[in-house]
Amino acid sequence: MAAHTSRAFLSLGRINVPGLGLHKSVSRVTYSTGLSTDSSKATTGSPQKGGKKVLSKKYKREPGDPRTELMPVDQDWTAVYPVATPFIPDAIPLPVRMGCPVKGGAPPEKKGNLELIKIPNFLHLTPAAIKKHCEALKPFCTEWPSALDTDAKCDEHFPIKVETKSYVSAGPSIRNPAARIVHLSVKLSSLNLNDQARKKMLKLVGDRYCKDTDILTITADRCPLKQQNYDYAMYLLTVLYHESWKIEAWEAEKTVADMEEYSWEGSLSQENILDVLVRMKEAGEGEGEEVREQLLGRREVQEYKDSVTRLKNEGENESTMLQYKEAVKKVLKL
Amino acid sequence: MAVSLSSVRLLSALTRSGSLCRSLHVTAVCCKNRAARPRVGKGDYPLTYEEALPPHYIGHRKGWLSQHTSNLKGEEGAAERTVEDVFIRRFVSGTFHNCLANEIVIKRRGNVIIVCAILIQKLTPQKFYFLIGYTEAMLSHLYKCPFKLVVQTLDKKAVYKYL
Repeated sequence: MAAHTSRAFLSLGRINVPGLGLHKSVSRVTYSTGLSTDSSKATTGSPQKGGKKVLSKKYKREPGDPRTELMPVDQDWTAVYPVATPFIPDAIPLPVRMGCPVKGGAPPEKKGNLELIKIPNFLHLTPAAIKKHCEALKPFCTEWPSALDTDAKCDEHFPIKVETKSYVSAGPSIRNPAARIVHLSVKLSSLNLNDQARKKMLKLVGDRYCKDTDILTITADRCPLKQQNYDYAMYLLTVLYHESWKIEAWEAEKTVADMEEYSWEGSLSQENILDVLVRMKEAGEGEGEEVREQLLGRREVQEYKDSVTRLKNEGENESTMLQYKEAVKKVLKL
Repeated sequence: MAVSLSSVRLLSALTRSGSLCRSLHVTAVCCKNRAARPRVGKGDYPLTYEEALPPHYIGHRKGWLSQHTSNLKGEEGAAERTVEDVFIRRFVSGTFHNCLANEIVIKRRGNVIIVCAILIQKLTPQKFYFLIGYTEAMLSHLYKCPFKLVVQTLDKKAVYKYL
C-alpha cells in the first residue's frame, strides 16, 4: 500500500520530527465526485437533518503495489534496512509465515502478522551491512602495538590489570549501581619484594591472594563512583607494598606458630632424631655438640630432613609418605 | 439494643411489604479461569491471532507485546516501564480510535521507545500522518525520550479464525 510504504521511509529516515511537511508531493485528497463510481447514489441521496447537504462518497485511493513487487533482485539491501526496524511485510520480499496454524491450514501469512513484529529481527545485519560498518569504523581505529605480540610481554610491561563493567539497559536512565565495582589484579612476582616483605604482604592481604596463579586481586566497591573506587584500589596497592617493606619492632617476636612454612632446623623432629641416633650409638663413642653436628652432616639425616619438611609443607599424599618411609628406613638402618 | 430491635422491626416490615428488600445471595464459586479466553459463538465472530489464543500460550505460541531489559534478573525499573506501557497503550488506542487492527507492540532500545501499530484504512492518509506525528510529539514530551511510531495499514483485520 502506497500509504504505508512511504510511511516506512518516514520511520527509517528521521529521528524526532513530526511527519507533517515531509510529504508535500502527496496530492491533496478531496471529496470529488468525478472519479467515484457511486456518484449516482450521492446525488440522489436525501439531505440529512435540517437540510444539510449530503457529502458524496469519500474518494478512496486505490492502494498501489507493495514495494516488494518493485524491488530488483540485485538491489542494495542495506538501503532497505539500514537500521534496526520492526518487520515491515511490504518491504521484505520473503513469503514468511509465522504462528500456530489453524487445523488443516497453514500458519498465518506475513500481512498484518503481529507475531513477526513482536520478535526482534536482524535484517539490518547482513554480512554486506557489517562490512560497510567495519569500513566506516576503520579510520577511527589504530593498530595494536607490534611489540606486544605475546601475553608474556603484555604482562611484563603492564603488570596491573584493572577490570570494570558498564551496563546498558532499556529505559530513560543510564545509571546502574553495579557499574562502580573495580577489580585490580597484579602478580606478586612482578612486585619487588624480598622474602620477609612477601610473607608480610601475604599476611596483610589474606584471602585476596590466589596461591595457584600468584595473583593478588583487590576489589573496591565502597565508593559511589568508579573513578573513586579505582583511585582507592591503587592507593591500597601502594600502601600494601610500602607497609610490607617496613619492619616493625614487634615483628621480631615472631613465634613458630606464626611461621608460614615448616623449617626443620631447631625443631622437635631434629632433636628427636638426633637423640635416637645418639642412643643407637651410630656415631661411635663420644658425647656433645660435635657428635650432633657430625650426625647432621650425614646423608641419611639430610634425606630425613627433606622428607619431613616436604610432608609438613605439602601435606600427606602418596609421594610424600613414600619418601618419608624410605628416609626413616635408611636413617634407622631397618 | 433498642436501635437494633427497631431496625429488625423495620426490616421485617419492609420484607412483608415486598419492596427495598436487601438480602444476601450466594452462588457456587466459579473456579474456572476466564481471562482473555474468547467464548465459542455461532461461527461468525472474527478473531485475530492475538485474541484467539489464550494467555497460557504466551511464550509457546504467542510472543510478548512489550519487550525491555527491566524484566531480566538483577535489573531495575520494571514497574516504571510497565506503567509507561499501560499509558502508551491507552493513549494510542484512544488517538487511533477504532482504527487499530490489533494490539500495539512496544519495543525499547536504550532510550528510544518504538511503538508498532497495525491500522485499518478508515481515515485518509493525511489524517493518519497527522495523528502519527501528534502521538510521537505528545509522548516524547510526556516521557522525555524519543518515540517512534512504525505503522502498517491494512484493508481489514487479519482474521485467524471465526468463533
